Amino acid sequence: MTGTQLFLQQLANGLTLGAIYALIALGYTMIYGVIQLINFAHGEVFMVGSYLALTLMLALTALVPWPVALLGALLGAMLGCSVLGWGIERWAYRPIRQAPRLNALITAIGLSFVLQNAIMLLYGPTDRQFPNPVPLVRWEIGGVTVTLMQVLVWGVAAALMCGLQWLVMGTKLGMAMRATAQDLKICRLLGIPVHRLIGVTFALGSALAAVGGTLFGMTYGTINFHDGYVVGLKAFTAAVLGGIGNIPGAMVGGVLLGLLEGFGAGYLSSQWKNVFAFVVLVLLLLGKPTGLLGERVADRA
Amino acid sequence: MPRKKISDCHRLFFLLLLLVGGCGPSEPVVKIGFVAPLTGDQAPQGEDMLHGAQLAMEHAQAEGAAVPGYRLELLALDDQRNPTQAVAAAKRLVADRDVVAVVGHLNSSCTMPASAIYHEAGLLHVNPVSSNPQLSRQGFKNFFRACATDDLQGPAAAVFAQQALRAQRVFLLDDMTTYGRGLADEFEKKWRALGGDVLGHEGVTQGDKDFAPLLTKLKPLSPDLIFFAGMFPEGALLIKQKAEVGLPGFFMGGDGLFDPALINLATPQAAERVYVTNIGTDIRQLPSAQAFVQAYEARFGPIGAYSAYAYEATRIAVWALRTAGVKDRAAVLAAMQQFKDFPGLFGLQNFDARGDSLIRDIGIFTVKDGAFQFVTASSH
Repeated sequence: MTGTQLFLQQLANGLTLGAIYALIALGYTMIYGVIQLINFAHGEVFMVGSYLALTLMLALTALVPWPVALLGALLGAMLGCSVLGWGIERWAYRPIRQAPRLNALITAIGLSFVLQNAIMLLYGPTDRQFPNPVPLVRWEIGGVTVTLMQVLVWGVAAALMCGLQWLVMGTKLGMAMRATAQDLKICRLLGIPVHRLIGVTFALGSALAAVGGTLFGMTYGTINFHDGYVVGLKAFTAAVLGGIGNIPGAMVGGVLLGLLEGFGAGYLSSQWKNVFAFVVLVLLLLGKPTGLLGERVADRA
Repeated sequence: MPRKKISDCHRLFFLLLLLVGGCGPSEPVVKIGFVAPLTGDQAPQGEDMLHGAQLAMEHAQAEGAAVPGYRLELLALDDQRNPTQAVAAAKRLVADRDVVAVVGHLNSSCTMPASAIYHEAGLLHVNPVSSNPQLSRQGFKNFFRACATDDLQGPAAAVFAQQALRAQRVFLLDDMTTYGRGLADEFEKKWRALGGDVLGHEGVTQGDKDFAPLLTKLKPLSPDLIFFAGMFPEGALLIKQKAEVGLPGFFMGGDGLFDPALINLATPQAAERVYVTNIGTDIRQLPSAQAFVQAYEARFGPIGAYSAYAYEATRIAVWALRTAGVKDRAAVLAAMQQFKDFPGLFGLQNFDARGDSLIRDIGIFTVKDGAFQFVTASSH
């Protein structure tokens, strides 16, 4: 294996994790964009998504061919998490919308304990094996191994990000979301149903986290009720890295963080990979405090 | 004003009720404390230990009261394999005056800080499975350990890998815990002394899932063997991703990997031909343990890696209590001085001056057709 091949192989490894981080980071950034709330329960929504997909996958793989089972599990988890995200906004955050922002932050931390413990009670405290129905197909391209699973992760993540970009930039709903992000009060005066719009944002972000959870479970093969904490923290970091509130920023930030971790473990040492990733992050933020693509944050803070 | 009088009456009534309840005719108890991870990713191994301890208590109760007039109870606490939680659990046990001995902690990183608390309280501490050698070198006279240690396990694994597997070039991984780092260092020392090459030694983080970049890096080095000193959740992922990355060579680990969950989580195909050592020989090979194995499996199902050690440690704690014959921490601890040739599961159990068991076999196992199979045992 030559140096170039090794580099490309590590690039492929990093891209896989990065794509999953990006999907989750989108939820953080979208929610921050509209109501300036860092929804720390978002990592748990990701974790709940992986458990929903696990349940559906176990039920479906015996009945239907694997692509149908996979699609069913993905759509089911997305739907379930959308309802969860919408519900969290409706019953946990909306009642305290007028309260100081710290109250919502504390509520988010409380919610994440509730969700973690609910899943622990329902599914047990131990690691669960996540069935992966995707056959182990691998291609050798110039000495670099790429698996069908990796291609699937990249494909699904890219398709969803394009879809989201179109939704935000090309539809009326997206226009309303962008307007709300700029000025919530004026939007309300203009007759935009702001509450419903915020609910939709939560549902969308949660659906993306559910996809992240499903792909995460399939790629690594085990899930646990406390996975949401670490992965959520990494995804939040990715959102900050890209510029929180900025949708393409979250995508770039997620992929970049995945690559940094991959190269950190691949070229330095696996025990220093987080240190390496965060040192780069700190340096980047020192040079550009609003994140890579973030512009608006400055005038908000 | 009459209202207030009524409410005062109520208060007095409830206070009386409480007092009566407190002084009720409840039988006095004497407790053995037990701590292991009962939630979290290492809960399956903690559960195995709890089952072993429960069975030991039942057998002890069937033999009659350990202290006349007192009911013997097991007080089981959860440390979540987290040293902070372990210290909290240890403090709770020390504060409970009914507790006269402790059987506990799975992970060396939990046993280490907790042992200091038991030592300070003068509480008998019988450790079932924490194998880091440093634990018994703190000079604590209340510390006893029912298993073999990593300065035996690491070298035994190194000798087996070089002689039986003909491995020469090893890459070492550990989980950066007291147990993992200690075991990997002992392995490395012996490996070098035997003339083997060490290609590298790196740590992985507990709870991490993505080891593909690390394993990809090892591909150009093509080690004959990867030795991982850590627990099964990370071990399973390493084994699975090693197969996915397409890295040849053997995979071997210590007792932290010796759990059927390793094979399920890693998938049986990837786990085939993985080698694992344990802090004692195969319990099924021992005539002295047949009755225990049958009783355990009839009650709880397949026996875990640590079930027997928890049983043994609990039986030793109960023996000390029975020998003392009184509910008194100092007397229970003093009784251990008479401990000699205890008929345990692994043969006649004795402790050295540090409190380590003199039964020092290391069992070596491999995965065959999706299950662990005993290969050999090395004795010291």
